[in-house]
Amino acid sequence: MKQFRKMTYPYVLWISIMVVAPMLLILLYAFTKEGNSVTDFLFTFNNFKRFFVDSVFVEVLLRSLRVALVTTILCILLGYPAAYYIAKCSEGLKMRWVLVITFPTWINMLVRTYAWMGILQDDGIINKFLGLFGIQATLLHTEFAVVLGMIYNFLPFMILQIYTALTKMDGSLLEAAADLGANRTKAFMRITLPLSLPGVISGITLVFLPAVSSFFVPKLLGGGQYVMVGNLIESQFLTSGDWNFGSAISLIMVIIIMISMYITRKVDKTEVMEKRA
Amino acid sequence: MKRENRAFSHVYMVLLVIFFYAPIVYTIVFSFNAGRSLTRFEGVSFQWYAKMFKDSNMMQAMMYTILIAVLATVISTVVGTFTSIGLSRSNKIMKNIVEQINDLPLMNPDIVTAIGLLMLFSAVHVKKGFGTMLIAHIMFCIPYVMLSIAPKLKGLDPNLCDAAMDLGATPIQALFKVIVPQIMPGIVSGALIAFTMSFDDFVISYFVTGNGVSNISILVYTMSKRVNPSINALSTLIIVIISVFLLLVNVVPSIIGKKKAKRA
Amino acid sequence: MKKLIQFKNIVKNFDGTLVLKGINLDIYENEFVTLLGPSGCGKTTLLRILGGFLEPDEGTVLMDGEDISHLPPYKRDLNTVFQKYALFPHMNVFDNVAFGLNIKKEPKDIINQKVMRMLRLVGLEDYAKRGITEMSGGQQQRVAIARALVNEPKVLLLDEPLSALDAKLRKEMQRELKKIQQEVGITFIFVTHDQEEALTMSDKIVVMKDGEIQQIGTPTDIYNEPANRFVANFIGESNIIDGIMVEDFKVKFEDKVFDCVDAGFSKDEPVEVVIRPEDLDIVGPRNGKLRGIVKSVLFKGVHYETIVETSQGTSITVKMTVSEDKPVVNSEAGEMMSANDFYLDILDIDELTENFIISRADAQAWNPETSERISIYEVRHEIQKEKGSYPVTFSTSAGTTVTVNAIVAEINKVVDEEYGEEIYAVNFFKKVDEIQESLILDTDLKIWANAYAYDLEEKTAVEITEVEYDFDPQNIQPGVYDVTFKTEGYEYKVDTTDKAEVGASVGLKFGPEDLHIMRKQ
Repeated sequence: MKQFRKMTYPYVLWISIMVVAPMLLILLYAFTKEGNSVTDFLFTFNNFKRFFVDSVFVEVLLRSLRVALVTTILCILLGYPAAYYIAKCSEGLKMRWVLVITFPTWINMLVRTYAWMGILQDDGIINKFLGLFGIQATLLHTEFAVVLGMIYNFLPFMILQIYTALTKMDGSLLEAAADLGANRTKAFMRITLPLSLPGVISGITLVFLPAVSSFFVPKLLGGGQYVMVGNLIESQFLTSGDWNFGSAISLIMVIIIMISMYITRKVDKTEVMEKRA
Repeated sequence: MKRENRAFSHVYMVLLVIFFYAPIVYTIVFSFNAGRSLTRFEGVSFQWYAKMFKDSNMMQAMMYTILIAVLATVISTVVGTFTSIGLSRSNKIMKNIVEQINDLPLMNPDIVTAIGLLMLFSAVHVKKGFGTMLIAHIMFCIPYVMLSIAPKLKGLDPNLCDAAMDLGATPIQALFKVIVPQIMPGIVSGALIAFTMSFDDFVISYFVTGNGVSNISILVYTMSKRVNPSINALSTLIIVIISVFLLLVNVVPSIIGKKKAKRA
Repeated sequence: MKKLIQFKNIVKNFDGTLVLKGINLDIYENEFVTLLGPSGCGKTTLLRILGGFLEPDEGTVLMDGEDISHLPPYKRDLNTVFQKYALFPHMNVFDNVAFGLNIKKEPKDIINQKVMRMLRLVGLEDYAKRGITEMSGGQQQRVAIARALVNEPKVLLLDEPLSALDAKLRKEMQRELKKIQQEVGITFIFVTHDQEEALTMSDKIVVMKDGEIQQIGTPTDIYNEPANRFVANFIGESNIIDGIMVEDFKVKFEDKVFDCVDAGFSKDEPVEVVIRPEDLDIVGPRNGKLRGIVKSVLFKGVHYETIVETSQGTSITVKMTVSEDKPVVNSEAGEMMSANDFYLDILDIDELTENFIISRADAQAWNPETSERISIYEVRHEIQKEKGSYPVTFSTSAGTTVTVNAIVAEINKVVDEEYGEEIYAVNFFKKVDEIQESLILDTDLKIWANAYAYDLEEKTAVEITEVEYDFDPQNIQPGVYDVTFKTEGYEYKVDTTDKAEVGASVGLKFGPEDLHIMRKQ
């Protein structure tokens, strides 16, 4: 049915304009000087120099990486037991649990994050509860609030990825392991954990990536003073109008994400290899 | 020991559910608050709903959100379906190229896609507003539609199309009478994903819109600086809409299925 | 009869591999033709070219004298039953069958009439409203046939339609298909790899291999007069023996001359002789034309499949020296270690690795308390590519050492010209307990003696089917023992109704008409 192939051509044209061209524009802007017209480009590395020379920017970058890293690790620690629990449920319960976990993700993220603003306020429900024990804490507009908001938004993705990997696993593998003399702990460490690693890896992708680039969570829960890379890019484009610098920051962010993804995949692969050897 | 473990894991799951649902319940409860406070419940009232329906900004944002979601869903589903079918018959190189490029908006942070589109629109001197927002939404919806259709096409018996033509159907007839009905579940779930993606989108819409056109997410973001309980009312409305939508999607097919089973 | 379809010199390439190498084939009206061959022989490709799903690279397909090579499938007056039926899962049985008629926009009442008539033909008139997925494999098969036949094609193509059914249902459908074909009276072209299916149903069988036609003929022709070794092997079971045609009606094999009914070969032409298992009889050792020993008897239901060996295969005998050496004990490190002397082929020296030496010497170290294995840390040796005896020392990291002798000797092999085989093995040393503890002694003996056999013509490994020795493995004493390794000899498969005793000496009887002589290819 070769004639159907032609149905692909319009889309190829479309993605060339809508996906490839914007990426090229970011590259172009990142390496050119502000204010030039489209016809004459002045190539420069100044945008990058500016970013790395100013400690404020580097600090923002490090903060974003820290928050994303902490969020990702906590999501793995919180998500793995939940995914494992669901995977061990009976077929009917499994589907219901998946529904329970996914339902909130269908509701607008902004709306759900906004709700946390009320909960975390100084006279909010959490502080009222803590007040019973005579504790008062500032929660809103702290890094804690930002990490909490991110975990809240991204944890379901981690749970689902790990859950999928766990259910894909052939149950007879565990029986085989038991047959070959592995106890439950050993079977988990040698079979279940390595086989669910791909799920963890794709979970990491789904958490780390939006976390590092997020800008509405820090804005809503971290307050105006709490700046992450996303906010920096936003302000370059929408407030100060320095698109060249904004593009450069985006490029730096994308490269860092690519490197960290590469490292995670590499770690995954070598670990699997070592286990095999 | 084992029982304790089990009890512990039950408790953990309950806590997790509370964590996921507390903000949603909180929003709904405080949308009926008589006072302005977001922390003190002062009695039941519907005043914020009344305010919301009177607020032209909110109503307009609601309208834009739904309109764009519907248009983007229809267009991206149609385009995504035919492209996927074409792609399933194409050679490896073509498949690889399209899949790789499709991955870009999926793998890139939204903000990067957003600024790329922003610069593209300004480079070709398109005025930002409803049109740009719609185009952007179509752009990021199509890959999701294709992702959801691809496995259905892969699972398709390659002989089905041959069988249709063997029985006298032209390629176009085979396409509409055999292939499309076969991958319908994939098309429907692709459309659903596209709809919610568009309905919930904030980052990309925020960057490519202009001319006073905003959707609900943008509205919440810009209004969040001041305390405004109408947002809770709007949020509750969205929660209800999405819940009904999900309910229909999950329940209706099974009811139809049961009815069909009864007739047969 | 009229020629309905003609394939003329059809050539087809897939990514550089020739799948069809110039097929010429005529198919007549009202024939049940079977394309038979192993998977990858090109039979399905040929069918798909006829169906219009593939275009030939060269050659033409004629139908009723008209060139249809480049016509799309929907313009061809033939229909296909696909391998896994390719029924439309989103339609019920009726709509599946009505699909072709609906496409042609026939009036509703006529469609209804035709579909119900077809469903009646295949015995499914009560299932019209059923969903496809609710039907069993056999029923789906019938739907697929009805869906194709309702369009009243001149030819029905069937692509391995029975392969997904279980054995009993397959038999039933074979009969049914033949009945349907006779009733509708059109040409059926049937593709299968199942020779039994082909023999039962066809008027004409086309045997294919590697994109070429091997033989065309009726089932009886093909069974009784296979054109070559491939056909003889593929259709039914057969004993194929190398022989020489001494003169007309005289063939020589196993050094004896037998009468036969074939003629027209040149004098002393090398030939292959086919004898079907059911044409051989087992008689007393003196009453047969050949003598042999019964090697195995398998019960097959109606008959016994008896294997008779008339001459032995290639064999080699080696010496096994059994000792009672005790392992070395290193009480300081809590380790024990053992190894034995070993022989090496002079040719092995070039590719000597530590692992090879360790395995030949069977060097092992272990912890006597936990019996956990300890790895060997070092192998020291000065083996030269020259006959002689060389010391080899193995040691563990804890310092336990064992020294043994490696004896380098000429290659020990036996070449059998008649069979075109050679067999290798080396003498070896073993300890009593190793023989006693072996769970798979035959395999271990092959490994210890490094025994291998090769086909000299084809340069491939030949299985060593027998290992002979005359000691009791459980009560073996130190000493020197002979171990013999053998390949398979001349064996005849015989179908008998009486059970023969394994090991009995018997005779094989056959008449001149039971021998079929084929030219060597």
